[in-house]
Amino acid sequence: MKPVVLRSIGVAAIVTTAATIWLGLWVTPPDKVQGDLVRLVYIHPPIAWCALYLAFGLAALSSLLYLWRRTRSMFWDRLAASAVEVGVVFNALTLVTGSIWGRPTWGVWWTWDARLTSTALLLVLFLGYMALRRVPAEPEVRAKRCAVAALFAFVDVPIVHFSVVWWQTLHQGATVLNANLSPTIHGSMAWTLLLGFVAITLAFIWMVAVRYRIEVLRDEIGEEELEVSLAERRAESGTVEAGFASAEATPTMALQPRPEPAGHPGPTVVS
Amino acid sequence: MWRDALLVAGKDLRIEARSRVGLWQVVPFALLALVLFAFALGPGPVALRAAAPGLFWLAVLFSTVLAIQRSFAIEGGEGTRDGLRLSGLDPAGIFLGKAAAVALQLLVLQLVLFAGVVLLFGARLHTPWLAITASVLATIGLSAAGVAYGALSAGLRVRETLLPLLVLPVLAPVLLAGSRAWAAALATSPAGGGQWLKILGAFAAVYVVVGVVLYGPLQEAA
Amino acid sequence: MSYVDAGYIIAFSVLFLYVVSLLVRRRRLERAVANVAPRGDAVQPSASQDGTP
Repeated sequence: MKPVVLRSIGVAAIVTTAATIWLGLWVTPPDKVQGDLVRLVYIHPPIAWCALYLAFGLAALSSLLYLWRRTRSMFWDRLAASAVEVGVVFNALTLVTGSIWGRPTWGVWWTWDARLTSTALLLVLFLGYMALRRVPAEPEVRAKRCAVAALFAFVDVPIVHFSVVWWQTLHQGATVLNANLSPTIHGSMAWTLLLGFVAITLAFIWMVAVRYRIEVLRDEIGEEELEVSLAERRAESGTVEAGFASAEATPTMALQPRPEPAGHPGPTVVS
Repeated sequence: MWRDALLVAGKDLRIEARSRVGLWQVVPFALLALVLFAFALGPGPVALRAAAPGLFWLAVLFSTVLAIQRSFAIEGGEGTRDGLRLSGLDPAGIFLGKAAAVALQLLVLQLVLFAGVVLLFGARLHTPWLAITASVLATIGLSAAGVAYGALSAGLRVRETLLPLLVLPVLAPVLLAGSRAWAAALATSPAGGGQWLKILGAFAAVYVVVGVVLYGPLQEAA
Repeated sequence: MSYVDAGYIIAFSVLFLYVVSLLVRRRRLERAVANVAPRGDAVQPSASQDGTP
């Protein structure tokens, strides 16, 4: 993605997000039924939609395109990995914002209703993918492995959804907890909700694009280091055979993912 | 494909028959799990009988992870997996064969666990056909998904910690549907049990198909 | 502080922190690539002296 495009998306995301916050917190009136709690509805569904549909759907689609020989390209693998990581953050936030909305509404921080349960399971599935991704391997091997894992997880999602919905209707818990969004939402509230979707989606796109670039850079580092190590060995030893022989020690080291500092806040939110 | 499947299933089962790891390790582990559940939930018979279907399936689930680990550990020797890959056997056949072997072991395991649940938790089976159908369908699903994920993590040193993390969330619907179906089978009336068979059937169908389709690329990535 | 405030603060702080972490990681990697590349070029000439391709 051209830097100019990326920057514009970033700026647009910031602007729309700020506008959403302003409208959501101050301009719009409280809801007749939910009162001020409706303000969380401006951000929770957009975050959820990004996490569940956009991120996970993108990851699954990219994985499929990677596995299909005709469209195979590291682009899809990197895109999938980026979508999953951003998806984890959004997924965790979905659960947190939903929980915060739920506490004053239902009186509990958590309940095993269909949607919450499915979302929680999805988070664990995502985290499994990320754990698999961290296992050191050749890029193509890792890409294939992760793509297969993503698809295995993806086909599980509808099954999980149906089982959990039936599970809940069985226990008649669903009726109390259906008060999610008043079907007729109009005026400034509707616009704010729409703006919320736009803002969060723009932020999502920006994050995936930057994360993708990080993935590209990581792979470049791996290759560069390998090149350098090979060249250094050749220079040191002065013969081709010795150069290749001693270079064998370096490839796996060079391809190891670099150690990350205590990085992004995802894990803390999840725990 | 079927011939290869039979070949591989036979190989895995023969290894089990000779080493009896499943018999001496996985089955005792499952029974141990039942005992631990009782420790966790207290000795009161009411609580245990109510929880029995769920605990049964939980024990099955954990044992499945062990069975999968074992299924791929037998190929852990130097170059064995490569040998299998280069043998010319149809990957789909290998998948079905391994899954069948695991499924058979899981079915035997469930018989033992059923006895355990009856004896230890005071469960009573009122609708056998429901329980049996649920078990068969669930086992097919567990084996298929399990072997698929087993292949995914087969060569990795972190297999022991990674496999449970990857496979258990995916198996969650089987736990859910199996428990509900068995709850209905153990209750005096089987009302509502049938719908769960649909979930179990769908899960089994999906993972058998997906496993067959993706086992080829999966093997290459091991 | 109301639940709504808490929700907004948590959501946007997390997103903000994640954005920052992405930018930091990207910059670190870009610098690392820049560091590795010149070294690679510097070593090349001596390697070619050996007659290796």
